[in-house]
Amino acid sequence: MAPTVNPKTAPSQLKTKKADKGKTDDADADVEQYTRTKTLQKPKDQVELTDSQLKEIIAKTLTSINPQIPESEVEWSYAQMEFVPAPTIGHMVMVFRQEGGLLKKDSEEARQQMIEMGMDPAELDMESVEEEQIEEEEMIEEEEMKGEEVEGEGDVDEEKAEGEEDEKPPEAEKEEEAEEDVEGEEVVVKKPEKKKGGRPRKLTNLFNFCERAALTTTNPSRSQETQTIPPPMATFSAVVTTSFVYDSYMKDWCIQEAEREREKREKMGLPPKQVIKKTPQQLHEELQSRIFKSARILERMINQNTYVEIAKDYRYWDDPSDDYRVEEGTVLPLWKFEYNKTKKHTVCDLEWNPHYYDLFAVCFGYLDYSKPVGGGALCLFTLKNPSFPDYVCMTESAVICVDTHKKYPFMIVIGLYDGSVRVYNINISCKEPAYQSNSVENKHRGIVWEVKWAEDLTDGELNFFSVGGDGKVNNWVLMQGGLAVTTIIELHLDQAPVAGPDGTTLKVKASICCIKLHPVNPEIYLIGTEEGSIYKCSVAYSSTYLMKYEAHQMPVCQIDYNKFNTDIFISCSMDWRIKIWEDNRLEPLFVFDIGDRVGDVKWAPYSSTVFACVTSDGKIYVYDLNVNKYKPICVQAIVSKKKNKTTKLAFNYNLPIVVIGDDKGCSSVVKLSPNLRIPCKAPKKQQDLDQNTLQLMKLDKLLAVLREPSTLILPEDTAEKDDD
Amino acid sequence: MADDEKKGDDSKRVVNTYPLIRHSDMSDETQNEAAEIVTTACEKFAANNEEAAKMIKLQMDKKFGPPYNVVVGEAYGFEISYEIGNVCYLFFGGNIAAVIWK
Repeated sequence: MAPTVNPKTAPSQLKTKKADKGKTDDADADVEQYTRTKTLQKPKDQVELTDSQLKEIIAKTLTSINPQIPESEVEWSYAQMEFVPAPTIGHMVMVFRQEGGLLKKDSEEARQQMIEMGMDPAELDMESVEEEQIEEEEMIEEEEMKGEEVEGEGDVDEEKAEGEEDEKPPEAEKEEEAEEDVEGEEVVVKKPEKKKGGRPRKLTNLFNFCERAALTTTNPSRSQETQTIPPPMATFSAVVTTSFVYDSYMKDWCIQEAEREREKREKMGLPPKQVIKKTPQQLHEELQSRIFKSARILERMINQNTYVEIAKDYRYWDDPSDDYRVEEGTVLPLWKFEYNKTKKHTVCDLEWNPHYYDLFAVCFGYLDYSKPVGGGALCLFTLKNPSFPDYVCMTESAVICVDTHKKYPFMIVIGLYDGSVRVYNINISCKEPAYQSNSVENKHRGIVWEVKWAEDLTDGELNFFSVGGDGKVNNWVLMQGGLAVTTIIELHLDQAPVAGPDGTTLKVKASICCIKLHPVNPEIYLIGTEEGSIYKCSVAYSSTYLMKYEAHQMPVCQIDYNKFNTDIFISCSMDWRIKIWEDNRLEPLFVFDIGDRVGDVKWAPYSSTVFACVTSDGKIYVYDLNVNKYKPICVQAIVSKKKNKTTKLAFNYNLPIVVIGDDKGCSSVVKLSPNLRIPCKAPKKQQDLDQNTLQLMKLDKLLAVLREPSTLILPEDTAEKDDD
Repeated sequence: MADDEKKGDDSKRVVNTYPLIRHSDMSDETQNEAAEIVTTACEKFAANNEEAAKMIKLQMDKKFGPPYNVVVGEAYGFEISYEIGNVCYLFFGGNIAAVIWK
């Protein structure tokens, strides 16, 4: 099969080349010419060969034997424990392979197919035999033909023969068909036999098929879900460093140490519970104060709702009838302040707080010596809560007078019936006084009729003056350890000493009822006595007074400096009279006869010519000198005439209200109608003047007429006289 | 005085080997168990916090049911959300802070 080159044919080829040389000589010359111009490059290892060597013919033989395959190869077999010949690989090399679809007729597979097609394989065999015979005959014929042809033409190409062969098959087919036709009868005969072989089966056509499918209804899908409650979660965060760990261990160690110590102490039998006992108490107090605060707010709210009409009156109602009455006014009663425990007491003093306009202090004591009432109280009421006092300071003795510090509105000083004075810091406690005079030595030997805070000392210490029935004016300084007292003056009456029981002589002391410090000059003060005189004194002189006014025939109840002109002061007395004085003028400028004992008189803070007084028949009198110099512009009963007496009154600094105290422990607040508080109108020429100047001018104008003599001659200086 | 202080220091060092629970909302029983586990783990893996944390986690999971989270370290910050009743933040050995939560 492998192609072989016959060596004998090669020379003939060469010969033919030589023969061709002559024809191509011209072409060669061209090539030579072309090659001469170029030097051929040869590799260095080019083998030099001679012409004979070059011309030598080396024959190449191709065989079907692969020389690479080793012959008689053996390999060691462990099973047999000997060398056995290894299987040879073979000399065949597969280059291309393709499975064909054709079957050999006499193969088993073909036979099977025959049966399936319903043909008898035996018959086929017969046919094949016949065909063979025919073919043989044909072959003979062909050979005969060939022989003729060979004879006819000597060099006939094989191709031609092939062409004849190609032409032959149609003839053969025809012959076959003919044979089939011939055998047609036989087929008919053999049909029953064929049926025996089985029904003819159709072979599957691999290239023609169809797909069949069916779609069923899709079930509708439904989702159902439930959710459970997640477990409770919380977040926690911290930052930790080694130092922090160390610190916490240290702290823990300290706690443990403390515990150990406590255990030790317990073993020793010492009660270590003091520390623990304190804390709940403190906590309790803290809690209480909080509850107290909120309760207080609630109480105020309730009160606001209860007294809403009064509150509205207080804020908005002005007596409309004032427009028609020219020179008269009224007072409108508002709240009444009472405290259950002090219903039998007399209001001995009233004072508005200088800082909180709605807060006022009330002293409960008694003035009727024949009917003493046990105990006393200082109550601080606020307009916001008429039902109960905001602060209550209970005392054993009757409280006669009160004063609130201007700078520190929580510092309140009171004077008592027993002659002692007390200072309360209501910020800290109402139960215990912050300062208290010594009940034996440092006290007045008589009722303390009035206390007044003085200007603070240069080093900031608080101090106050007090006057008592023993004729002394004391100055008290609030030191760290307690109250330090200095007697400023001891007043004696200007009469001959009275002989005592055991032959000694006694100077008769004056009993001081009231004191008023000069609002501008801190050294000057006025004191009124039970004898009815008013003394003008100076802090600088302890032995004598500067001036003496023979003011009244009965005890002086109250002195008040005019709020605008400090040279003018007013005094009232049990002798039914009110007098207005000018400093250094021994005669009063005005005298008013009220017709009953005058308990209290006060200048109004908003006008230089308005003052009000209360009498023991329970009436309030309001005067405006600018309107009427002879008659009060308002007289109104505050309490019933038969039962009660009014004792004290106080103007509010900001609001047009006055609080009036009576002897049944009740404080009434009244509102002044517009006619009682007419502001000054500036004259047309001097519109730019402020209210203060206008008020001063108003008073001066009024007094100018009354002054007799118009220029004042100062009396002799008694102090100098004394010095001589 | 100096001696006393020294003594105090020594005792502190000794005392520091107990677990100090800083924050916990576990039941007392669980808390004690957790503290014990932390003690064992931190003593066993004194030099390897990761191993200690692993051990604590596995032990806690085994005893109280997974999944527990454990952080063991000397200095870190964290903010965690935990199932209530399952957090314990404690110190151990004077320099280790461990936080166990679910």
